[in-house]
Amino acid sequence: MNPRQLRRAVHLLFLAAFLLFTLFPFFWMVASSLKDQTDLLASPPVWAFTPTFVHYAEIWQDDEVSGAIINSLIVASSTTLLAVLLGTPAAYSLARFQFRGKKDLWFWFISNRMISPIVLALPVYLLAQRAGLLDTHLVLILIYLSFCLPIVVWICTDQFRSIPGDIEQAARLDNANHWDIFWRIYLPLGLPGIAVSAIFSFIFSWNELLYALVLTRSDARTAPVIATSYMSGYELPWGKIMATGTVIVLPVTFFALLVSRHMVRGLTMGASK
Amino acid sequence: MEFLKIDNVVKKYGDATVIGGVGLTAREGEFVVFVGPSGCGKSTLLRLIAGLDEVSDGRIHIDGIDVTEVPPAARGVAMVFQSYALYPHMNVRQNMSFGLKMLDTPADEIQRRVAEAARILKLEHLLERRPKELSGGQRQRVAIGRAIVRKPRLFLFDEPLSNLDAELRGEMRVEIARLHQDLGVTMVYVTHDQVEAMTLADRIVVLRGGHVEQIGTPAELYDHPVNTFVAGFIGSPKMNFLSVTVASVEGTVVRVASPSLAGGSATLDLAHPVVARSGDALSLGLRPEHLVPDGPGAVRLATVLDYVENLGGQSLLYTRAAGGEAAICLLQGRHQAARHEAIALCADAAHAYLFDGDGHAL
Repeated sequence: MNPRQLRRAVHLLFLAAFLLFTLFPFFWMVASSLKDQTDLLASPPVWAFTPTFVHYAEIWQDDEVSGAIINSLIVASSTTLLAVLLGTPAAYSLARFQFRGKKDLWFWFISNRMISPIVLALPVYLLAQRAGLLDTHLVLILIYLSFCLPIVVWICTDQFRSIPGDIEQAARLDNANHWDIFWRIYLPLGLPGIAVSAIFSFIFSWNELLYALVLTRSDARTAPVIATSYMSGYELPWGKIMATGTVIVLPVTFFALLVSRHMVRGLTMGASK
Repeated sequence: MEFLKIDNVVKKYGDATVIGGVGLTAREGEFVVFVGPSGCGKSTLLRLIAGLDEVSDGRIHIDGIDVTEVPPAARGVAMVFQSYALYPHMNVRQNMSFGLKMLDTPADEIQRRVAEAARILKLEHLLERRPKELSGGQRQRVAIGRAIVRKPRLFLFDEPLSNLDAELRGEMRVEIARLHQDLGVTMVYVTHDQVEAMTLADRIVVLRGGHVEQIGTPAELYDHPVNTFVAGFIGSPKMNFLSVTVASVEGTVVRVASPSLAGGSATLDLAHPVVARSGDALSLGLRPEHLVPDGPGAVRLATVLDYVENLGGQSLLYTRAAGGEAAICLLQGRHQAARHEAIALCADAAHAYLFDGDGHAL
């Protein structure tokens, strides 16, 4: 084996180890959701088994699960939409205009992500209670927005800054006003960044457990809350938990695959020298 | 008629003055070239004309109207950027029609103008392509097409050819010259390449450090440079400069002395009264193309050959004068000579330039 082959072998070995590390829990979840209770609890684990969809049938009939998934969809897509809608114009301003307090504003957006969520859980709960917003979609959307907006602003500002200034000036000479430039030039050219930040926002809002647990009780419960709610009482229905987990992961996986094209496409290539 | 008038324009960024009071005019249909080294303020001046930057002081008039406070799009100017600045997500047709769309031009009029520009620039077969699918030269033509369709009264070019290879640069230079003839529109063109300046310009504006050094036709700048900077910048290879001392002055005739001169001195008739006195230190300027080995001429340089560059049809002789200064000689044809060979480089007195201690022409 020559040094190049050796390097390649080591490379592949690391890659395989990493994939095993990240994908095994998913495999275990999906596999467990297809096992019956006996196979699930067998020790040593059963690798060859006859798949059963009994747990999926169970959650299909459980209104709480479908309700929670619908809640999650409403909360995650509203948060993502609002974060992109509000975050992209903010990012455009930060990327292109000079104004007082710009640096402070920028730091504020970044510093938001430095606070541990648990620190704010109690104050947020009290605020939501006073405002009568407990157990509503709105309270989750608002709190998730406060986490996702900085992500969108952060990523999109960087993306917009990378668009050559000449292109904006050419547009100014072409009679485009700031709105035209934002809408017709920056948004299409910033799609990769917008897509990435939208994915992050959606995944964050979809997976978030802490605030969902604290702020919802029944009507607005999201999917992760439902999945963990089975872990009480005397029995742990692993099959149902795993099936719910699998169903929860599916939409984000699908969403990520849908927009991943934009993440890798260098749209600005060939525009300038 | 005076079409573009720049009146004592100043541009400052904080405490730094980038343009320090520039004034110039351009007639309608004239091709004006701003030339100068990097950082001389030529691109900044162009952006001030376009309205992309605000002037700190002074006024800019286009066609008799003060446009100093007018936004870029309302000035009736179109600009071709060094980086092309095409919209990467739009195809060629969309790139060219974007400006017209922004002006709410009717669709059939947009289509007509884009088709016409595409025909002029031979872009018809590329209209549906995106910028990244085009070569450098094609992109540059699209950038020019985008400017043409708007039928501007003033074209601004910001080093449009500097990203192209030498061959394409030559081709595009001819195309731009032809375009100027066909459209008859006033054009202001920025370049650091003096060959582009000499070949394209009706008039050249030489800039240095945010100030105008000289304005004139290419021939005026070549024949009568006002100072050593212009003399050195216009012409390729650049002018040779030798330190000389005034030996005597009699009316229009001046005798200069230098160890580099064969016989120690040379007599020049400047055809106008000379403002210099015996003992003054001057620079003697001689263009490489005016020097001939062992030829006739009142000015004879005693040099030793360093090396020869054969360019095919021409040769460049790199020599060292007896006073230690380097001197280059451009010859037609090939020149065979050995290294360290002594050569007398001769020039006609009419082709000799004298500059005072501050670099101003005498």
